[in-house]
Amino acid sequence: MRIAVLRPQVPFARGGVEIFTDELVAELRARGHDADLVSVPFKWYPGARVLTQAFLWRMLDLDEADGRPIEMVIATKFPSYVVRHREKRVWLVHQFRQAYELDGTELGQFGEAPEDRALRRQLQELDRIALGEATRLFATSQNVAGRLARSTDLVAEVLPHPPQQLPYRTGASEGFVLSASRLDRAKRIDLLLEGAALHTGFDVVVVSDGPDRERLEGIARARGLDGRIRFEGRVTADRLAELYATCSSVYYAPVDEDFGMGPYEAFRSGKPVITTTDAGGPLDVVHDRRTGLVVEPTAAAVGAAAAWLHAHEAEAAELGGAGKALADEVTWDRAIARLLA
Amino acid sequence: MRIAYFSPMPPESSGIADYSALLVPALRRHVELTVVRRGTKRPPRGADLSVYHIGNNPDAHGWILDALRRAPGAVILHDFVLHHLVAGVTIGRGNGHGYLDAMEREHGVVGRLLAHGVLDKRLPPLWEARPEDFPLAREVLALAKGLVVHSRYVADHARAAGYEGPVVHVPHPAWPAPDVAPADVGGDPLIGSFGNVNLSKRVPQLLEAFARVRAEHRGARLLLVGATSPGFDLERRLQRLGLGTDGIVREGYVDERRLWALMAACDIHVSLRSPTMGETSGTAIRALALGKPLVVSNTGWFAELPKGVALKVGIGEHEVDDLATALRLLARRPDVRAAMGEAASALARGPHDLGKIAERQAAAFERIAGGAAVADSVLHEVSEAAAGVGIAAGSAEASEIARRLSEVDLGG
Repeated sequence: MRIAVLRPQVPFARGGVEIFTDELVAELRARGHDADLVSVPFKWYPGARVLTQAFLWRMLDLDEADGRPIEMVIATKFPSYVVRHREKRVWLVHQFRQAYELDGTELGQFGEAPEDRALRRQLQELDRIALGEATRLFATSQNVAGRLARSTDLVAEVLPHPPQQLPYRTGASEGFVLSASRLDRAKRIDLLLEGAALHTGFDVVVVSDGPDRERLEGIARARGLDGRIRFEGRVTADRLAELYATCSSVYYAPVDEDFGMGPYEAFRSGKPVITTTDAGGPLDVVHDRRTGLVVEPTAAAVGAAAAWLHAHEAEAAELGGAGKALADEVTWDRAIARLLA
Repeated sequence: MRIAYFSPMPPESSGIADYSALLVPALRRHVELTVVRRGTKRPPRGADLSVYHIGNNPDAHGWILDALRRAPGAVILHDFVLHHLVAGVTIGRGNGHGYLDAMEREHGVVGRLLAHGVLDKRLPPLWEARPEDFPLAREVLALAKGLVVHSRYVADHARAAGYEGPVVHVPHPAWPAPDVAPADVGGDPLIGSFGNVNLSKRVPQLLEAFARVRAEHRGARLLLVGATSPGFDLERRLQRLGLGTDGIVREGYVDERRLWALMAACDIHVSLRSPTMGETSGTAIRALALGKPLVVSNTGWFAELPKGVALKVGIGEHEVDDLATALRLLARRPDVRAAMGEAASALARGPHDLGKIAERQAAAFERIAGGAAVADSVLHEVSEAAAGVGIAAGSAEASEIARRLSEVDLGG
């Protein structure tokens, strides 16, 4: 089948959605489909630009390419699903969250002026129309599906996707907690650092990069954690797999995350995950004392959880093993079979 | 966003006052809302949008129409037929010329002549005899920056009358069913009809149909709750049909608590209407909240109820036959009543859920207040980009862009 995978692209940015869509195209091709990525730049400001940029997708003609039909499109995140197509499947990564649960928070975009309020509502209406056109609607997590149902009354099937491909393996713990999230305030890596300051006995390795790096390094210095915290920046796939294999646990606690590949990557490496009660998507798979520890979003609770898993290697291995069994169920074979059914 | 809210409010005896009393606290979770005092002529300073509740009753809505004339805003249009309102604020205030003008504006010279006939008492009042033929809604539509309606019926009629502004369909919210013990009324089954006892509630047809049902179901009782309209001789009709006090239970106007207790006691709710002004029935909504099966007229808002919650009876020649058939079915099939009741509860908890309705109504207000500016921004940017690559207005390409914009409700 000829399939176009649709991805909005913020130029120069690369994150989970880019990895996911690249792998989806590769996995479709590996199963004999003629798949390709269709990407359109996306900018969501100022003012009503978010709507006009979304509208670009509506003007695309993806019925056929070079005289041959495109049998299916798979849209992923806002605004790619604004596209028109007779067989529009949506595998929803997230809506434009500023128009929903982030409105009125420091991560929101719209003010109190009538024009701003109306713009937010127009985006919601656009979602209702565009997502309502989908011939099948999937969401990457229960959290994403729940938000969709609350905001549009549309029902999506929950369909998680496998994490990025790494040479996953399980190794002996070397006594550190790993954080592999982008260094962004919403990922709350500061809770882990502050927790480490309150509880001794474990080290922390922080990989990846992002706008919050300087602040996080400042916290580590201010708390006198220089010997215990290591910032490794961007690392290779092999190095990341090695860190997953040798950590005692993985910390992953963004605020109300959509999906989050972090827990799946940890589980593939047989490691338990520390997350928080308000983390959103990760709670689909991180179950307290079954596949990890789910704690209150405080530094003290995160630090205590990290110390406990460090001190209880056998129990940590058991939790990680349960997580691995769960993650092993999420395969591209199964996901693609449901997606294309 | 700051909303100035013009509505009848309790203790006024009005279905729309009850509606606003239910909705206002939920709306305040989304917008900053000030309920203006009855008689207020202008919105308070600083309001981003005035919201006017317009219904057909001149006592409840005359002052609101006066305010709308001074400062256009969003209109929650509860009835499409506003003839009674217009007559009330013209003839009712000693301004017969105003009525003549209103009829001429909407219905031309013929309208003016008919209005003369009414003023001269040569014709029966049109708001009683033929209101649906002369809805007199155009003035309100002309003043409305946007409409919020409860039914597709009102939306369609507004569009048919040429209204081009935004029309948002937001269902009537359901009251949370109160924890109230059913009144001890008796009846197996007990059939209830709530609201004024008169012709437009199809009470004559209901009495006839009930008489037939009772011939087969001797335990059946009909509960009629509400004031009897002037000129409607209920006693004579009951006598003629041989319906005595063992079959008919009569209560006049009751307070809210008694209303719920009586409604909870009923096995079947009947909510009939013709002619319709386009209104939603507050008592039918209460019946849904209580999980009761409904029998309704197949007209206006009532016709839009899902099949699973209501048996619908056409108006006209076979009305009594069809009504009797529907009542018989429900009388002998408690399982059908139960299934319909469950569907009714689900409808009340779902599409009519108060929280969802408040969110949708706040969304409607926000779109009406700022939507035109957003649409202008989008259209300006798109048309500028199109013009920049030589796409001229009126060209096939421009038409396609307009069509695509329209598909996703971005104007065009």
